[in-house]
Amino acid sequence: MDERRLFPLVRALAEAGVDFVVLGGLAAVLDGAPIATLDVDVVHSREPANLDRLLGVLGRLDAFFRIQPERRIRPEASHLAGSGHLNLSTRHGPLDLLGTIGCGRGYEDLLAHTVEMDFGGGVRIRVLDLGTVIAVKEEVGGEKDLAVLAVLKRTLREKQDRAPGQ
Amino acid sequence: MLKSRGMEYGQPAPAPEYSEDGVDLSLIRWMLSLTPAERLEFLEERINDILAVRELNGRT
Repeated sequence: MDERRLFPLVRALAEAGVDFVVLGGLAAVLDGAPIATLDVDVVHSREPANLDRLLGVLGRLDAFFRIQPERRIRPEASHLAGSGHLNLSTRHGPLDLLGTIGCGRGYEDLLAHTVEMDFGGGVRIRVLDLGTVIAVKEEVGGEKDLAVLAVLKRTLREKQDRAPGQ
Repeated sequence: MLKSRGMEYGQPAPAPEYSEDGVDLSLIRWMLSLTPAERLEFLEERINDILAVRELNGRT
């Protein structure tokens, strides 16, 4: 396999000990959905110690808000502690940090709906399962989310047909 | 507000900017800020990473 470090952005979070779950398009693609995705969406634990770790790694990643990029506004602990969405740029590409998703689901609510995936080099990362990715997109209900739902649902059905009970 | 090395601190978090149908406009703008070659390079890296992780996890 390629010696290059896979997904340097999420690896940096994992190696810093940040508790987070990968979700959205990337989670769907990793679970087999044939869609394209560019940004990395994660829900992070909002425990104070985790916020400290997250803030530290965001500094090393040169993270700043994508809105008004010319101002290079840095994320701060008070931003990370909220339930909203922080759309950031980093040296490894776009990163969206979400305090909660769908109908107010936070990190602890999502843990039971994740699978741990091997990202190489001993790094294991929690990824939201496809069924819950679909459920969250249905909760949000925007046209953009609905547009990919047909592909995601068909992918899930194909997966279930291939491996009944999984 | 503090400024250091071109970065701003002490600001409220800027509100995300989505279109009426839920499309992340900042992501589109970020993509448009790249050259076509940079877009392809980024997309290729992402696809290679995804394929490699899927292979590692038996999800080819």
